[in-house]
Amino acid sequence: MKLLKPSWVSHNGKPIFSVDIHPDGTKFATGGQGEDSGKVMIWNMAPVLREEDEKNENVPKMLCQMDNHLACVNCVRWSNNGLYLASGGDDKLVMVWRRAALIGPSTVFGSSSKLANVEQWRCVTILRNHTGDVMDVAWSPHDVWLASCSVDNTIVIWNARKFPEMVTCLRGHTGLVKGLTWDPVGKYIASQADDHSLKVWRTMDWQMEANITKPFSECGGTTHVLRLSWSPDGQYLVSAHAMNNSGPTAQIVERDGWKTNMDFVGHRKAVTVVKFNPKIFKKKQKNGSSPKPSCPYCCCAVGSKDRSLSVWLTSLKRPLVVIHDLFDKSIMDISWTLTGLGMLVCSMDGTVAYLDFSLDELGDPLSEEEKNSIHQNIYGKSLAITSTEAQLSTTIIENPEILKYQQERQNSQANVGLGGATAAAAAASGPESSTPKLNSVMNGESLEDIRKNLLKKQVETRTADGRRRITPLCIAQLDTGDFSPALFNSAPILPSGSSVSNQLTSQLSSDSSPGQASSLGLRPGHDPMLTSPPAKGLEDNKDGVMKSTLLLTSASKIEPMKALDSRFTERSKATPGVTSAITSIDVKHKEDSSSDSEDKMASINKNLSFNKRKQDLLMDGGEVVEKRKKGRPRKDKMAPTFPQPFTQITAPPAEREPSRAAAPPPPAPVTVLRLPTPSPRKTFSLQVSMEPSVFLEVENEVSVVAGSKLSQLRCSRDGRDWNTLLPSSVVTAAGSSDVLAVACEDRMLSVFSSCGRRLLPAIQMGSPVSTLHCSAHFVMALTAGAALSVWSVLEHFQGVPVVGLSNGKSYCFSSSTLIADKGDSMVQCADFRSCLPSHDASVSSGPLAVMQGRNLNAGRLASRLSSTPHHLQQSMTLAFLENQLASALTLQSAQEYRYWLLVYARFLVNEGSEFRLRELCKELLGPVHKSAASSWEPTTLGLRKRDLLREVLPVIGENLRFQRLFTEYQDQLELLRNK
Amino acid sequence: MAKVQVLNVAVLDNPSPFGNPFQFEITFECMEDLPEDLEWKIIYVGSAESEEYDQVLDSVLVGPVPAGRHMFVFQADAPNTGLIPESDAVGVTVVLITCTYRGQEFIRIGYYVNNEYTDPELRENPPLKPDYTQLQRNILASNPRVTRFHINWEGSADKMEDGENVDPSPNISGMLPPSCVTGKMPPLGLMPDNSMDCM
Repeated sequence: MKLLKPSWVSHNGKPIFSVDIHPDGTKFATGGQGEDSGKVMIWNMAPVLREEDEKNENVPKMLCQMDNHLACVNCVRWSNNGLYLASGGDDKLVMVWRRAALIGPSTVFGSSSKLANVEQWRCVTILRNHTGDVMDVAWSPHDVWLASCSVDNTIVIWNARKFPEMVTCLRGHTGLVKGLTWDPVGKYIASQADDHSLKVWRTMDWQMEANITKPFSECGGTTHVLRLSWSPDGQYLVSAHAMNNSGPTAQIVERDGWKTNMDFVGHRKAVTVVKFNPKIFKKKQKNGSSPKPSCPYCCCAVGSKDRSLSVWLTSLKRPLVVIHDLFDKSIMDISWTLTGLGMLVCSMDGTVAYLDFSLDELGDPLSEEEKNSIHQNIYGKSLAITSTEAQLSTTIIENPEILKYQQERQNSQANVGLGGATAAAAAASGPESSTPKLNSVMNGESLEDIRKNLLKKQVETRTADGRRRITPLCIAQLDTGDFSPALFNSAPILPSGSSVSNQLTSQLSSDSSPGQASSLGLRPGHDPMLTSPPAKGLEDNKDGVMKSTLLLTSASKIEPMKALDSRFTERSKATPGVTSAITSIDVKHKEDSSSDSEDKMASINKNLSFNKRKQDLLMDGGEVVEKRKKGRPRKDKMAPTFPQPFTQITAPPAEREPSRAAAPPPPAPVTVLRLPTPSPRKTFSLQVSMEPSVFLEVENEVSVVAGSKLSQLRCSRDGRDWNTLLPSSVVTAAGSSDVLAVACEDRMLSVFSSCGRRLLPAIQMGSPVSTLHCSAHFVMALTAGAALSVWSVLEHFQGVPVVGLSNGKSYCFSSSTLIADKGDSMVQCADFRSCLPSHDASVSSGPLAVMQGRNLNAGRLASRLSSTPHHLQQSMTLAFLENQLASALTLQSAQEYRYWLLVYARFLVNEGSEFRLRELCKELLGPVHKSAASSWEPTTLGLRKRDLLREVLPVIGENLRFQRLFTEYQDQLELLRNK
Repeated sequence: MAKVQVLNVAVLDNPSPFGNPFQFEITFECMEDLPEDLEWKIIYVGSAESEEYDQVLDSVLVGPVPAGRHMFVFQADAPNTGLIPESDAVGVTVVLITCTYRGQEFIRIGYYVNNEYTDPELRENPPLKPDYTQLQRNILASNPRVTRFHINWEGSADKMEDGENVDPSPNISGMLPPSCVTGKMPPLGLMPDNSMDCM
């Protein structure tokens, strides 16, 4: 172990309360007390790690400092994706920072330190809700939420995708909340407070899961922070300050039953901070010895008020190392590097220490895949499973076409210029490279030229009252304005295959950035250093320094200097003019009404939060209300409503539908006949086919979303699984080797392909289905009303007319068949936004869009609100997209079909579902060799299927995972073209 | 949090004869679009002893100010010599640049100014009545004194920003454990409560 105290990391001797290493390991942030404000500083990691970099003057040490917090900063934390930094302080605020890419280095004007800010970090949002000092902040896994806790006894969960939106406020602590930690699986968040308790909260419903008090009953509120930590395998939670036999400990809480049987003992004073190493380790294999299977273990650092630091391995009974007298005052925070081998510790005494461990000391860190498989074994598919991007990046690209798409993707990412890689590169190049860039041109003029003529060029006007008004020259635009949720969403929520969604969002933002540039008058491809202070200014300053020393020595009058000094800090109260009068009045007014206005504020806040809550309620439970509102204008347009049951309208000309084997009997009089219908069950399963063996499993009411109960349909075919969701309880199901059909309680019949693709839009039956049967590609249904219908999935319904109802559902008629087009809650939850191409507008005019109206948009918003588990949302999205496809087909809306097909393909690519993708490609390609027996039609709605495939292939090519699939179909298309 | 940050002030035409106009090239950055103009002022301190002799050389409105980095040159005529006490004409004094938003001053930049005769003869034996035509003005550009004030950036209807400036209520700060107080006590008494002197 190596130990280093980089003396240059300091807040001018003021205490450092928090430290956090950036996920990419190139920089770290510290937070603490500034001169008389709070201070956040960002430091370069390289000079800590390498001595030569520390000595090299060209390597910047400090990258940025931010004085914006009005009082001491208690916590700084990087988001998991490294794009954002959150800080919380005594000014009751949480600030979220992002790096501004367009703006070059600058100094803090007038500050004594001449150190330039090499990187520019801007506050993009201020989160206000706490009424007391914010003590700790924490990003959830995958940056879905940001949590902050405060001495106001509350914990606030913020929507990290939509700052400054608040998700919830957790109340229950009766003392100052001083530490937070997320479960790595994302199921819980734990908090520790001065009220002698540690509480675990569920993220599902934000209710308290466990309240642990026993180990803390003897504790006094003597520590500034109580930073607890969750182990990377999720099995243990370790608290800060706890007591055992009146000795200070760090309590180990087991996930299983929240048992408190073990603790870390040995510190002489209260434990302030516990931090688990992000890696899971296994024993280092000694050279020559046979590999023995050993249990993986975790590593944990504990810091205390007794100024000492201990590092523990969960496989050892005693600490790995204890370091005393590292600091003069209490340890305040600890941060590990993502590699698990480095650690930064900060102290109230204003210093920072870096510890470097070797693999021999800690063991072999498990790879991400191994860690994922541990998670998968314990928790199943969970949030904790990180994307295997890293692994994919090492995959060899086998197809030149793929390479092309990959490069395009990378280019579009690079163009954004915000990407970590480019930003890091800019940082690494440092100040020495910025010098030549100073002469960059703007509108064909260098900044130097502009400055020379600024006085002549600047626009000066007179206001109505004769005052001078100068229009300043804009020399750079801030890029903090585009704090778009889209960009934030690029954080991979998807456990796999997020590459394409990243690419998409970056495309979106790259679309917008040239626009910005042009409005600036900058040429595209301008460099970010453009706006740094020109060299001339520096020279001026140097001259000034020389002269000033001369000047001061020759200055004869020394005494008035003191008197003059006072003038710098006084406000312009004596300044003659109208404005000063206004100022004083203003101030007075403020004083008079301050207490008054505070009260008002409080009440306004209350109102606001009340309103918000109301809205949430509406979104959650009031789906029907919302839909009705939207449906109303349409109802007027669509003219007559149908009070009668639908069965009466379906008068079928039977002969026209060749696939129909039998027509339902004439309606009304015959309905006395009632066949028995199966009763709904919670779950059931059946084997639909022996060869290939296909099993079907149905589970009703798996989840309630937006007020409607969802049912899950799982199918296993030759060991391959797929599942989908339906908005109503499944009553009966049937299948053949080609198709699967399920009938729901709401009299909807859904038909799926063997790979789980929805083949037909939901069919509305006149009465409940009594019997369902499938054979080859035919589906037969016998209803309770004794109507027998047979459909062929190869035929497509051509449905007109369309009837839209005020509840948001639409129906259309296809000779005898009534097709429900939409109106399920799926749309409320489907999250396909990441798959939407950037040119969204093109589809806004199709018949399907007209029918669905704004419901779709509502769905996009609502999807963010519902905290549905990821896999559920995935299924819902899939179900929704397939529904859209089928509906577009029925409505014969070719453009919309094409649009939804691409969205669907993109979603499949993102989610990595190869079977469905393959089936889709197969369907689009058709048989390569002509055969008479083939019933494949080369066109859909006038679109050539193979052309569609050509459009889909580039999408597939964007994910390296599917390069084999890509190559396969690319080759076949090529083959066909040559024919 | 201040929405406008002054990034740099370059003193142009310096040193220069006393009668030349003042020229400051000001670069500032704005976090978000400002609905109202900024008002900049140059104040010449005639005498260290009294504010009575302060002269506002000029005041200009600067706007519109969208979010971004901007620069402009602020030029103002030399001070009216008739208003300067004769005894204070030669020697060190101060020029101030202030900026107000919605009538509230949020930054004050001060420079020492040395007024001197260029002629060694005059320097040795300065005339009783100052000869302003022979005086040279030298602004100590390298050493600005910057004082920032917290102000309410929102309209008067919205007191959100103002809330930040209110000191934490005594019961909350009283609840802080004693260990943390020592490190976090702001220096008292030296400056106005809401100022941040960056020297």
